[in-house]
Amino acid sequence: MEALYYIILVPMVYVAFAIFIFGVGFRLLKLYQQPKHPIALNIFPEKKPGWLWALHDAFLFPTVRRHNFVLWIFLIIFHAGLLLLIIGHLELIKKFSIFQIIPHNVFIGKGFVGLALCFALLFFLFRRFVSPNRDLSVFEDYFLLILLFLTVLFGSQMDWARTWYEYGELTVPDYRAYLMSLLVFKPELPYEVTASGHSFMLVLHVFFANLFLMFFPFSKIMHSFFTIPMNKLRRG
Amino acid sequence: MEQQTRDELLKLFKSKLNQAMTFYLETCSRCGLCTTACHVHESMPQIKYIAAYRAEIVRRIYKKYFKPQGKIWPKLGESKELDEMALEELYEAAYSCTGCRRCVMFCPHGIDTQMLMSIAKLLLIGAKAEPEILTLLADTSVEKGKSLDLFKDGFMAGIKRLEDDVVKKWKIEAGQTPIPIGVEGADVLYVALAGAHSIIPAAAVFNAAGIHWTLSFFEAVNFGAFVGDPTKTKLILDRIINEAIQLKVKRVCICECGTAFRVMKQMSGKQPFDVISLTEEHARYIRDGRIKLDKSTVTGTVTYHDPCQIARNAGVIDEPRYILKHLTDKYVEMSPEPAYNFCCGGGGGLVSLGEETLDFRMKSSKVKAEQIRKSGATILATACENCHTQLSNLNDHYKLGVEVKFLSSMIADALVRE
Repeated sequence: MEALYYIILVPMVYVAFAIFIFGVGFRLLKLYQQPKHPIALNIFPEKKPGWLWALHDAFLFPTVRRHNFVLWIFLIIFHAGLLLLIIGHLELIKKFSIFQIIPHNVFIGKGFVGLALCFALLFFLFRRFVSPNRDLSVFEDYFLLILLFLTVLFGSQMDWARTWYEYGELTVPDYRAYLMSLLVFKPELPYEVTASGHSFMLVLHVFFANLFLMFFPFSKIMHSFFTIPMNKLRRG
Repeated sequence: MEQQTRDELLKLFKSKLNQAMTFYLETCSRCGLCTTACHVHESMPQIKYIAAYRAEIVRRIYKKYFKPQGKIWPKLGESKELDEMALEELYEAAYSCTGCRRCVMFCPHGIDTQMLMSIAKLLLIGAKAEPEILTLLADTSVEKGKSLDLFKDGFMAGIKRLEDDVVKKWKIEAGQTPIPIGVEGADVLYVALAGAHSIIPAAAVFNAAGIHWTLSFFEAVNFGAFVGDPTKTKLILDRIINEAIQLKVKRVCICECGTAFRVMKQMSGKQPFDVISLTEEHARYIRDGRIKLDKSTVTGTVTYHDPCQIARNAGVIDEPRYILKHLTDKYVEMSPEPAYNFCCGGGGGLVSLGEETLDFRMKSSKVKAEQIRKSGATILATACENCHTQLSNLNDHYKLGVEVKFLSSMIADALVRE
């Protein structure tokens, strides 16, 4: 069991990040080596400056707000939550004074960010069980949503345990010791990380997150990189 | 399907790949937001008429042959083999899409279904499974460009016969030619369609505005674009570009034809002349005081159908409204926002296929007919040949009781001397 924990928490993390970084880099490089489209693809009436409106479209999803308000609410919750989770994870590596402008305990959001994300992901999943989304969906769509849901669920459980139930074994300094050691390529697994009662949650969280990262460059999640240039094409 | 055929088709597929196309092929999150975008789906709610579903038909072939997942884990994205069955699906997808790009307004990423359908159309050409008529029409246009001398005399004689009608609409001074052809150094080269309705009113307005103009030998419509053949599209386009350069005109004015205008405006590249639509040209005459219009010639409430390729896809939105303001006091909008206007249902070559597509065109444009009826107008103006034909068909089929008119001909009928 220890060996399995080690594989997931150390080598697999490196492999996952390597695949993620090189995969995304390679995909972007290959894409931008292709010729540009010869004609303008923008929609009229135009609003200037196009790049600003493209950013507006990419971050605020105005077309979704207009045509499916409920979906838009969940999308905003999901994407804003994702941003907070990224900040939370950075704070699990080291202290960042910039994030503490509004003082808070790590993890940011008192556990509610993860909870909201779980609900949003379930919403995204369940709406695919209903026609016409069911007919449009392919296996990849379900696979990614379930993978993300499991990642967020196990990640959040650790947070909920500490925040809501005063679970005190696996603490922020323990995470920092583990993650910092990974970052400086001197991997260490503190005793608490692998031996406390909630270690299995961490292992599962990291396992699903690894899978997600490895999958990222080859999936539709690449929209996170593509959507700005695509919206720029539409805005001109 | 034989391997060799498939390889050739995949080569064609590859020829369409560029940055934008790759974005569109890679990105769909299948959120289903485009479900209500397509007029075909809104008129006939079937899954196959959802923009994302159409796009996915092309995308599945892309996944199979151009992405590693198609080889490693084909089930993941339901990648699909390119075979006879796939060609049938591609046909259904491509020729039920009018390329109006309304779905681009819905997609959070701005995926352009028309672009993806251009892959489908090219594959169909490669497999000789495209609508034959469109290829025939495109070939005729290309041929005319190659051997103009053969057509020249017949064309000149035909135009001569229209001159009296032009003069009836607007009297010109003695010695002036009602329809000038091949005039070097003219300000405007007018590219019309092969039909009197496209030439007579426009000529009368040019003459009334006192414009130094000349009529092109070629018709504006680009059947190469309809059938989705990039080579023929370019050849058909080049005929006009060469003529414009040869005659040293200042601007090329494209008649009321959506595809012709968009192709010319966006694909002609940097040239010594400007490209302008007839509607923009006419709005300019009114603004400059070159022509005056008599509102009493227009009786009844008027609405305007924005042709997709001229408005949403090429930006001519304010000009027709400006013109209509000078033609009538009773103007009503058809759609709250022109960018969201429904397609007439005849684009993408469907109208050119005539009777063959009539049943589909009528069924798939029920929402358009309702939109027209709801406007309460009695005159339906538009500025595109395809739209005009389709809207007239809709008018008959759904008994809308409107009069479908070209904007240019409304202007020609309202011309007054000061």
